[in-house]
Amino acid sequence: MANRYLLEVQDIHTFIGQFHILQGVSLTVPEGSITAVLGRNGAGKTTTLKSILGLTPPRSGQVLFAGDAIHGRQAYEIAALGIGYVPEHRAVFTQLTVRENLRIAERKRGDLERKADFIFSLFPDLKRLYRLPGGHLSGGQQQMLSIARALVPDNRLLLIDEPSEGLAPILIQELMEAIRRLSAKVTVVLVEQNFQMASRLADRYVIIDDGRSVHSGPMPELLADEAVIRRYLGATM
Amino acid sequence: MRRRYQATIASLFLVLILVALAYAGLGTTRAASLLLSGLTLAALYFLLAAGLSLIFGLMDVLNFAHGVLFMIGAYIGYNTLGNPRLLFNTLPLLMALIAGTLAGMAYGWPLRRWETRTRQALAAAVAAGSDRKKTTATLLSRLSPSVVLALAAVALAVWGVRGFPLNLLVAFEPTATGGAIPTAAAQEPLSLMAIRLLKIAGAGILLGPLMVRETGTGRRPVTLRHVLTAIGLAGIGVLILLGRDPLEGFVLSLSVDLRFLLALVAGATVGGLLGALIERTLIRPFYGRPVTQIVLTLGLMFMGMELVKSVWGREGHPPMAMPSFFAQSCRSENLVVWLAERCSSVNVLGRAFPTYRLFIIAIGILILAAVGLLLRYSRLGMIIRAGVQDSDMVEALGINVRRVFTLVFALGSALAALGGVVAAPFVGVYPEMGGTFQLQAFIAVVIGGMGSYPGTAVGALLLGLARAFGDALVTSGITLPWAAQAFQASPALARASTVLIMAIVLLVRPAGIFGQKE
Repeated sequence: MANRYLLEVQDIHTFIGQFHILQGVSLTVPEGSITAVLGRNGAGKTTTLKSILGLTPPRSGQVLFAGDAIHGRQAYEIAALGIGYVPEHRAVFTQLTVRENLRIAERKRGDLERKADFIFSLFPDLKRLYRLPGGHLSGGQQQMLSIARALVPDNRLLLIDEPSEGLAPILIQELMEAIRRLSAKVTVVLVEQNFQMASRLADRYVIIDDGRSVHSGPMPELLADEAVIRRYLGATM
Repeated sequence: MRRRYQATIASLFLVLILVALAYAGLGTTRAASLLLSGLTLAALYFLLAAGLSLIFGLMDVLNFAHGVLFMIGAYIGYNTLGNPRLLFNTLPLLMALIAGTLAGMAYGWPLRRWETRTRQALAAAVAAGSDRKKTTATLLSRLSPSVVLALAAVALAVWGVRGFPLNLLVAFEPTATGGAIPTAAAQEPLSLMAIRLLKIAGAGILLGPLMVRETGTGRRPVTLRHVLTAIGLAGIGVLILLGRDPLEGFVLSLSVDLRFLLALVAGATVGGLLGALIERTLIRPFYGRPVTQIVLTLGLMFMGMELVKSVWGREGHPPMAMPSFFAQSCRSENLVVWLAERCSSVNVLGRAFPTYRLFIIAIGILILAAVGLLLRYSRLGMIIRAGVQDSDMVEALGINVRRVFTLVFALGSALAALGGVVAAPFVGVYPEMGGTFQLQAFIAVVIGGMGSYPGTAVGALLLGLARAFGDALVTSGITLPWAAQAFQASPALARASTVLIMAIVLLVRPAGIFGQKE
């Protein structure tokens, strides 16, 4: 049972400039699960994802992916190991067409052709918009493109940051359905403000507060613990 | 997309107004030849501005050393065409340096790993509160093995090139009538050159470890390919050195056209290599620190100019020899006849226009199209366009964005150097040539919208035309349709015309014609 977890983060500390943003975050992600990273605004959720990917490298602590230490490597090397990133605010390339946005994510020739059917079955809209520049897409369409982009190469893990942000409820439903379906193929770490959405999608959770991971476990345990929810998330069921 | 559409219409409109005014005031013939003069300048501005714009767009670096690369390109081209002896005596040294560096990378990675680990261990010890270790750690961070290696490499390199008779390596002395007398052999004997080669290769071997990124993961970053390339390069270098006399004879026996082609290739190649070197060693550590970068590239500009002056003298050279296609002193009736007659000028609506300038325009259009196609249809172009918007996201897709940075820096530098070679027969070769063109290129980039490729082309076009018509205003005046007397501007106005255009454009569109609002 060496690789019980696909991703293991052990007590990472990350600085941005002089600021000690992450002061000890640990989390474990079993293969095939959806793990929700929860917490208030500014708690360090986004920085946690960026630290895993090496965009803001942790100064200490360990990140293990499929059992290998990946902290300290360049972000592009880490991504190429099979980690897809769907950043907050989507970060679709507005000057590139939808097709180019997907094409650029290829790591091997023919990635897009092999994945096209799966991607279009999740997001049929993208097929219709294929030749349009990314900048012409609506917020919801851009979010779908951003997720689709992360599905083009053979990724084992997807880091998805605030997918529901700024979207209409009907779109959030659609998006949740898509994430549920794609999680059959890849493991997902999901940062989400929308507790309703996170609690219905995820099977595990970790709560980050003030740069520290304070609680984690299976999602049903959290749902049973009203006190924790009120204290750290300020949400009620 | 709509904004872009508007921008295209607006800039076309602006150009049309300029041209229409000129036609009305100057008459068709003069306006046509001024238009072509403007296009010539525009082409040269564009060759510089294209690189500036790509580099700024992708890396947010304002490269003030760009004009120096243009100037160095001109010097390299000039010497390739007229003095291959210099080339064959210096190329082996360059190859030895690169081969040595590659070899150095092979042994350098364990050293760098050791350095990283020692530093981490010391940092941990410092955190644990050991005073003695703290002193060692400070000392190590100040005087790390890397610094020692770099200093030793520079020292060895300087020792290697000391007393190298660069100024004497002249194949010809030009005569007053434009002919050339072969000079006696002023080359160093092969034995001396071999010693220099070894020293330079040694400097490269010391530099090698610095090229290896600090890595804590212990994976070997150097492959067999590196080693084979090093051996190959060293071999080619030695071969060139051994065959330098027959090679020189061979190159000089080539037609001036072939040598011109060689000059273009050599200029662009050296420019590209220099660009890559500058990016890897000097720019890379300072991404995200714009002030440092500006001071750094400004410093490079002055250093480069002084370096060139110390090698080739302050005075500069007269315009470089032109290919035979543009050399006959006659005037062809049209371009078809010109192909047979190879006259230096061609009839444009009754006025003579130098054919070489048409060649410059053609090169400008060719590069515009080639880079445009590269950006639009290649994977590299796609990565560049994406990186201009968000290079972090490109990296997060698993793409080595740093390598793309180096590549784009090299490409831009190569284009600038190519521009220098192309400009050499037109404006001559002198140490300050980079500065003049660089200023115009910067203005072109700003007018077009920082980082926009079509914008840069339009900016260069506007500036070239403004410059040509501005000069005409000064020399002969212009009769505007509604005025009785010809309007004649002062020379100061002509020089200010490009800046004036920039002011007007920026007042109307602060982000430039094709600029995106931040």
